[in-house]
Amino acid sequence: MKSLEIGRPIPRVDAYSKTTGQERYAADYYGENLVWAGVKRAGIAHALIKDIHIDDAKTLPGVISILTHKDIQGSNRQGMIRKDQPVLADNKVNHCGDAVALVLAEDKASLHKALDLITLDLEPLPGIFDPEKAIGEGAPLVHEGHPQGNVLFKGVLETGDIEIGFKECHAVVEACFELPHQEHAYLETEAGWAILKENGQLKIVVSTQSPFRDRSEVAEALGINVEKVRIIAPYCGGAFGGKDGVTVQTLLGLAVFHCPGRPIKMWWDREESFLASPKRHPARLYYRLGVKPDGALHALDVRFYYDTGPYDHLGGAVMALGLEHACGPYRISNVSLKGFCVYTNSPIGGAFRGFGVPQVTAAMEQMMDMMATQLGLSPFEIRKRNAIRCGDKNPIGISVTGSTGFEECLKTLEEHYLWKKRNEWKSKAGPFKKRGVGIASVMHGMGYGPVVPDFANAKIELTREGKFRVFSGVVDIGQGNASTYLQIAGAILNQDMAHMELVLPDTESALPSGSASASRTTSTFGNALIGAAQSLKHRVLQRAAIYFMAKEIKEVDLIPGGVNHFTTGKEIPLSEMFHILDDSEKVAAYTFTAPTAKENPTEDQNLRLHGVPHLIFSYGVHLCYVEVDELTGNIEVKRYLAVSDCGRIINPQTFEQQIHGGIAQGIGYALCEEFIVKEGRVRTPDLATYIIPTALDVPEMDSIPLESYEPTGPFGLKGAGEISIDGPLPAIANAVADACGVRLFRSPFTPERVLKALKERENREFEH
Amino acid sequence: MKRVFLPHNLEELWRIIAGEPKADIYAGGTDLLVKLRQNLINTPSLICLERIEELKGVHEQGDEVMIGACSTHTSLLENPIIQRNFPVLTKALNVLASPLIRNMGTIGGNICTASPAADTLPLLYVLKAEVEIRSRSASRQMALKEFILGPGITCLKAGEIVSGIWVKKVPGFNLHHFEKVGQRKALAIAIVSLATLFKISGEEMVEDVRLAWGSVAPTVVTSNEIEAMLVGHRLSRQVLKKAAPIARAIVKPIDDIRASADYRRQVAENLLIRLGSVQK
Amino acid sequence: MKINFVLNGKGRVLNAPSDRRVIDFLREDLGLTGTKESCGAGECGVCTILVDGESRLSCLMFAAQLEGRNVLTIEGLASEETLHPMQEAFVQFGAVQCGFCTPGMILSALDLLKRNPHPTRTEIREGLSGNLCRCTGYQKIVDAVEATACKKEKGPPL
Repeated sequence: MKSLEIGRPIPRVDAYSKTTGQERYAADYYGENLVWAGVKRAGIAHALIKDIHIDDAKTLPGVISILTHKDIQGSNRQGMIRKDQPVLADNKVNHCGDAVALVLAEDKASLHKALDLITLDLEPLPGIFDPEKAIGEGAPLVHEGHPQGNVLFKGVLETGDIEIGFKECHAVVEACFELPHQEHAYLETEAGWAILKENGQLKIVVSTQSPFRDRSEVAEALGINVEKVRIIAPYCGGAFGGKDGVTVQTLLGLAVFHCPGRPIKMWWDREESFLASPKRHPARLYYRLGVKPDGALHALDVRFYYDTGPYDHLGGAVMALGLEHACGPYRISNVSLKGFCVYTNSPIGGAFRGFGVPQVTAAMEQMMDMMATQLGLSPFEIRKRNAIRCGDKNPIGISVTGSTGFEECLKTLEEHYLWKKRNEWKSKAGPFKKRGVGIASVMHGMGYGPVVPDFANAKIELTREGKFRVFSGVVDIGQGNASTYLQIAGAILNQDMAHMELVLPDTESALPSGSASASRTTSTFGNALIGAAQSLKHRVLQRAAIYFMAKEIKEVDLIPGGVNHFTTGKEIPLSEMFHILDDSEKVAAYTFTAPTAKENPTEDQNLRLHGVPHLIFSYGVHLCYVEVDELTGNIEVKRYLAVSDCGRIINPQTFEQQIHGGIAQGIGYALCEEFIVKEGRVRTPDLATYIIPTALDVPEMDSIPLESYEPTGPFGLKGAGEISIDGPLPAIANAVADACGVRLFRSPFTPERVLKALKERENREFEH
Repeated sequence: MKRVFLPHNLEELWRIIAGEPKADIYAGGTDLLVKLRQNLINTPSLICLERIEELKGVHEQGDEVMIGACSTHTSLLENPIIQRNFPVLTKALNVLASPLIRNMGTIGGNICTASPAADTLPLLYVLKAEVEIRSRSASRQMALKEFILGPGITCLKAGEIVSGIWVKKVPGFNLHHFEKVGQRKALAIAIVSLATLFKISGEEMVEDVRLAWGSVAPTVVTSNEIEAMLVGHRLSRQVLKKAAPIARAIVKPIDDIRASADYRRQVAENLLIRLGSVQK
Repeated sequence: MKINFVLNGKGRVLNAPSDRRVIDFLREDLGLTGTKESCGAGECGVCTILVDGESRLSCLMFAAQLEGRNVLTIEGLASEETLHPMQEAFVQFGAVQCGFCTPGMILSALDLLKRNPHPTRTEIREGLSGNLCRCTGYQKIVDAVEATACKKEKGPPL
């Protein structure tokens, strides 16, 4: 078997067990004497809790116990930045999905009967559902006593002087964009399994992106000793940000104390997942862009509102990342960016692949095209003229350092046959069809920013069987990092897959390494792994050199399954090395802390805490071919191309998987995923009403990675997990504008919205 | 717990129905089990028709075809008699839900669920289908358009099942067309649909036509007026544009989570206009 | 009630309430967690099994309906030593990311190839249109099914 080289498209290690159904997800844990746990949810968007009636339900046969906030010892508050979300609601309900009572039952049927019998005495309060209105006079407060009213977080970034800037502009374009919630719709809904062991240890197996942080949250919210909490994170059946933070963990943590020694299972069904889990923040963005006569971007005024629902849940960080990316990968002399992350009684806004960047990209990339049209420039030209380069100051005043391949991405796209042949393709539209081509630039920062520690601790050991075992600290949520870790470690240790092993994150054996998020999962842990692998390799070779009586360590090297002494040709199997080494020599650990930006665009320490600014960015340009049906308004994406600068590609297959997946979710976000909420109530409660793309709705996609090199990344790599979801919406919007001359400011671009826009255009033309 | 019965023939079925008068009857289960999950079914027992061979299959009898009510959509898609004689049915079945639902769901089930958005109904209307209804002691036949009374409401009485669908062959009709507008290309509830049969002469003249719209009213909408307007003309944009406002007037759509009534009205018109560019 | 059926090649006689959903019967009673649940309403395809060779949604079936049937779940596909060519193709062509849709997707693909041994890429997409995937964007799944149909050589696709 070949060794695991960097750059090879090696099939993923988890693929085998997933194709045979052997791989167990958190949802697949059952067991003897199982207890079923379920939650009664509020069902109303804003209310005072007067009473929770559990007596009738308690007496049902099969019900073990019913718990409320009264049964919680600790703070009863969870949250990653601000702890404002109750495990079980106490005095108030803040959104329809708030958990109010926890039922433990012997079987599912009893559980559901009990949940139906629980009634709530609620005194409805006026709710607030629009982020702009929530900041206005007299808006009902979601959190009384919160100093900034309904504003969770406001961020401002300014450079230059936009008043003067706009006066100096030759052309100005203004628009307002509106985007809805987006639901993750991971196929494995929130699931966990827990048991309280005799020694007092609380063991939780859960579908999560953040096992170490979960541990602290469980401990604090419930008032337990964190040392007693063990969290195991199997492969997630999808997560995309929705499992970043507590879902079932604290509820299970509470439950176990009421049936010690028995395994407890909680698995949200699809409707509960829709109701209770966080979504992508709906946004309203006001953009005003001005350019100089030569097309240079000169002034940008942005004001946007992200609706974060009732709890922080990383909402501030999402808004801050959006703020930082609001200008796109361009040079702009004068900017004023204001972002508001606002509390409402809508569903919770939280982390979702893209993390605030899809919304601002949707706006800015459409503004660029609108300006191009106004100036008579091609969409390419306006982007090329303003493209950010390494060494430039970016619009928020930070120096652009590190690999910056944006211009190269533009060049690559410009030379691609899909761009060159576009007019030929457009001219072949059939009856009642209009064809258009659109592009969009993307950029995406990696990591947590300058304040929150972005570190990983890798641990590798040599096993008795003569294999190298990697203890992954970062969950594999489907992005394949488990495999990439083996590839990285295997490449350094010169091993093949047969001599490598991976242990999925377990807080008992792995070392804290941060969450599987922020496009950091391969980069930060990968770097730590390189350190640990090199350290272990060195130790093994030092001892092997002595064993072989070699004069220098250069005479020996690792081969798959052993160590080889070049000079004599002798070999020793790794399983024998195991016995030569002392225990302390068989394991290596290494910490890597991601580099952070040294410059500071703001005095606002809170904004810095929330991630501004980032240091390393990935870039890209997307292109799509669309066909619009003039009779139904239906938009069909016929082809899609993503050119990406994500540094060195460690595994081309895994990389392409990420690009494809992000594009597909972005197409859904653009066209059919309309998460409808009215007065805080979800009107699209399941997969029959919330429409995600099927195999017939996603086109053939082309992905071209630039082989660039980011010096700070493992083998030159940069993050690739999120960037591709940022492009489809604006690329499609631009293509539709190209096809029919209509611009859609409100997404998703449903056939109904398109048909309406076409009709309005027809009427306007008729009037002229 | 509900008891689920699985009769193997009609005799068994009638016996079970007699003993379980409150039982709900299903074939594929793709509607019933979904309703069960939503707590909309309160019957103590269920009867599944999937094993009754007498209710399956496609039989030619001269110029008529009898489709067993428990024929799955997939079996009809693969059936040469259907493919040869009723391309419009094949077109509709191809876009019904998904292959998995088609493997389980039946044409009888689609009819009896009587959803305003049912995919088989518009074309069964243009084919002037009749349903055969059987009970233990009797059998009757009626036009499908009389059988369906409203959303989810049919003429079926207690103790009865739809046993078959009778369709007359339509040899003269040389253009079969079906268009379904949905939120995506599969697993989509129709927002508007249009089934049409045309008899086009050698000179491209319309000699005969049948049209039926789905999802734009409580039941399928047909129009003798529009049909009369098209006969004797070419399928030109002008003729279709003239007929289009009538389509807008006769449909009675609602606003729902998928689309507004306005959109449905507009598209009902527009699907008519598309007919001018449909290939034979 | 007693249910007599063939499961993954072995004749079984098992007890289950007649209205037990097949998905629950498989996962909870028989420990066969390879078949997944994601919506419980026939909208996602993740619960797909083969019944008499035909793909069906186990969340919309009752245990009573298993009587006399030949049922294949994902656990029954690979032999002792080797993966089924479809499974092997999914591995090689990168068709597996989070993997939750994978068992259902593979079984649907088998049903497709049985009916249409040489499908076009569009026909493959149609054949899999009832199986949702949130991770892959479907392309590599189509590649894997196409390769299996053409019995292409296994190997890195890039």
